[in-house]
Amino acid sequence: MKRIIALFALLILAAGLAAEGVQITGYVRNYTGVLLHGDYDFSIVQNTLNLNFELKSDKVAFKVNPYVYQYFDRDNVFDMREAYLDLYFNSMDIRIGKQQIIWGKADGVFITDIISPKDLTEFLLRDFDEIRMGVTAAKVDYYIGNSTLEVVWVPVFSPNKMAEEGSIWHPVMELPSNTIFDFSKKDVAFNLKNSEIFAKFSTLTGPVDFEIMAGYTWDADPTLFTEKKIDPVSHQLLSMIIIPQYDRLTVFGGSFSTTIKGFVLRGEAAYYVGKYFQTTDPTVPFGVTEKNYLHYLIGLDYTLWGAKVSAQFIQKIIFDYAPMLTMPEHHNMMTVLVSKQYLNDTLTVEFFSYIGITDGDALIRPKITYSFADGFDIQVGANIFTGSKGMFGRFHDNDMVYTKLRYSF
Amino acid sequence: MRKAIALTLMVIFIGAGSLLMGGEKLTGLDIMKKVYYRPSPKDMTAELVMTLINSNGDKRVRKIRQYIKDYGKVEKKIMFFIAPADVRNTSFMNWSYDDPNKDDDQWIYLPALKKIKRISSEDKSDYFMGSDFTYDDLGNRLPEEDNHKIIREEKLNGEDCYVIENTPKDPDYMYSKTITWVVKGKWIGIKRKFYDEDGEFLKELTAEKYENIKGYWILARVKMHNVQKDHTTVMELKNIKVDTGIPDRMFTERMMKRGVR
Repeated sequence: MKRIIALFALLILAAGLAAEGVQITGYVRNYTGVLLHGDYDFSIVQNTLNLNFELKSDKVAFKVNPYVYQYFDRDNVFDMREAYLDLYFNSMDIRIGKQQIIWGKADGVFITDIISPKDLTEFLLRDFDEIRMGVTAAKVDYYIGNSTLEVVWVPVFSPNKMAEEGSIWHPVMELPSNTIFDFSKKDVAFNLKNSEIFAKFSTLTGPVDFEIMAGYTWDADPTLFTEKKIDPVSHQLLSMIIIPQYDRLTVFGGSFSTTIKGFVLRGEAAYYVGKYFQTTDPTVPFGVTEKNYLHYLIGLDYTLWGAKVSAQFIQKIIFDYAPMLTMPEHHNMMTVLVSKQYLNDTLTVEFFSYIGITDGDALIRPKITYSFADGFDIQVGANIFTGSKGMFGRFHDNDMVYTKLRYSF
Repeated sequence: MRKAIALTLMVIFIGAGSLLMGGEKLTGLDIMKKVYYRPSPKDMTAELVMTLINSNGDKRVRKIRQYIKDYGKVEKKIMFFIAPADVRNTSFMNWSYDDPNKDDDQWIYLPALKKIKRISSEDKSDYFMGSDFTYDDLGNRLPEEDNHKIIREEKLNGEDCYVIENTPKDPDYMYSKTITWVVKGKWIGIKRKFYDEDGEFLKELTAEKYENIKGYWILARVKMHNVQKDHTTVMELKNIKVDTGIPDRMFTERMMKRGVR
C-alpha cells in the first residue's frame, strides 16, 4: 500500500515538475516470457514503468530515475536507479549521488566495468541499463583537450544482486545436507576505511581511443569460506559451515578501440590482485586460495551488406595456478552479434550469442523488433541455453520465448 | 577545404564556384564543379527535422540538433537526437577527412549503455536512419567521379537551370545515372532524378526551400520520393546559424555524454 501511495505521489510530483521545466521521459513496458520445457510455465510476467526527470542548464543539472516492476507472482519492486546532481565548471564536471558508471569497450562482458554492481536476479537477460545498478558516489571528470581524468569515490559498497532461492535463476550448489550458512561476516561496515576508489584516464582521438584505469574495490561476489568438521575417528564429514565474506580487490586495466580498413578493433584487459578462488584441496584452510588473474577481450566490429557484425574473444587466466581450483587455469568464451534493419529501419533482426568455449555451453538470443509507431516497439525473442555445465549450460532447463511491448515517451 | 557537409543539405546538389571566367562556354563538368566549390560556411548549427512518409501516408518524425565545423583537413560534426523518445539523448560524432584514402571516424553515445562506442563507417549505399537518402546522397561526391553532359537548359520554378546528366565512371556505382537541375548564377541543384543500376527511375529529389544566409546558398527543405517503394523523406533545417564560431570543445567526449539542453 505504501508503495502505491509513493507511486501516486511520484506521478503528482511529475506533473508539478513538468510545469517547472523539468524534462520527463521514460517508458512503459510489458515483458512476458514462457519456458519451453515442462508445463510451459511463465518465466516472467512483468509490467514496468520507468521515469526520468532531468533538468539541464549551463552550470548545473540533475537526474532522477525511479522505476517500478510490477509482478503477479512475486513482490513488486519500486526503486531508484539513479538520483544525482551535476556541477559543470570550465574544465571539470562533478556528479554526486546515485549513478550508473560504465567503463571499458566490451559489449556484454564486464572487465574494467566494475564500479556499478550487477543485478543478476534474471541472470544476464535484462537490458544492460537494468543489469547495472546505481552506486552512491562522487565522480569528478577533469578535461584536458580530448582527454579526461576521472576519479570516482564510492563510500558505500554495493555487491552484485543474485537471484533468491526459488527463482529459476538461483544457482544450484551441490552441498551436503548438513551444511550451515553463517552470514555473520557478510556485511561490509559503512565507514570511510571500507570505501572504494577508482581512477581512469581516457583519450578520444581520430586514430585510437583508449582508457587506463585502476581501482581499489571490493569483490562484488562474496567468497565462500568453508569450515569442515570431520569426525576424527571415522573421518566422516560431520558438518560444513559456509561463511560468505566480501574481500578487497585491486584492479589495473585498460581498453582501446581503433579503426582499421573499415573494421573497428577493440581490446580490454584487467589484472585483478587478491581474488579468492574455491579449491577442492582438503589441505587448504577454508577451501579458498588467493590468486591473481587476468581477464581480457579482443573484439572486431564490421558492417557487411548493411548488417552490423561483431565478434569478441574473452579469456580469463589464473596465475600461479593450483591444480585443485574449481575454476580452470584458462577460461575461454566468445560473443557473436549480427544485426540488420529492414523496412526503413522499422524492423530489426538480431542474433546474439555467448559461446562458452571451455565449458561447451552457450546462450543464444535471437530477437526481432518491430517499430509499430514512433516510440512504440514490439519485440519477440528467445533465450536458448545449450550445454549441461558452465555459466550458461547450468540453466539448460530455462529456454524461453518472450515478448516485450514498449512505449517510450 | 571543400568537404561535403553531410546532412546539411548543402551539397546534395553538387555545384561550383568562381573557377571560370565569365563569357566562357561552360561544360557539364564546369557546372558541377561550380556547385561543388560553392562557398560554404566555416561552421553551422541547425535543427534537422526529418519526416518519413510511407505509402499509406503514415509519418515518422526524427529531430536532431547538429553542429558542424570545418577545420581545413578535417570536418567535425556532432548530432544530438531529440526525437523519437526512444533515441533521445543519443549522440553521434563524425570526423571526416580531406584525404580520400582515410575513412571517417565515427562514435555513438547510447544513453542506456552510458558509454561512447567507436563504430565502423557506414557503407555509402546504406540508407541514413531509415530515410530515402543514402549516406552517399548526403556526402561529398567529387565531380570528377562522374561524366557530365549538359542535355538542355530550361526554367524550373522560375529559375533558369542547366539540366545535366551525370554518369558514374565506376560501373558498379549504385546509380546508373542521375539528372540534375542546376540554377544558373546561384549554382545550387534544385532537382535531381536518380536511376537504379538497371536504368529504372528510382527516386527524385526536389528542393522545396533554399535561402541565402550570410552569402551562402543553403537548401533548407528538400524532399526525396522513392517512386519504386512509394516512400518519401522530407528533410528540413530550422534555426540555421552559420559562422558563429562554434567552440572546439563541442566536438568532444564530454559533450557527447552531456548532450544539449
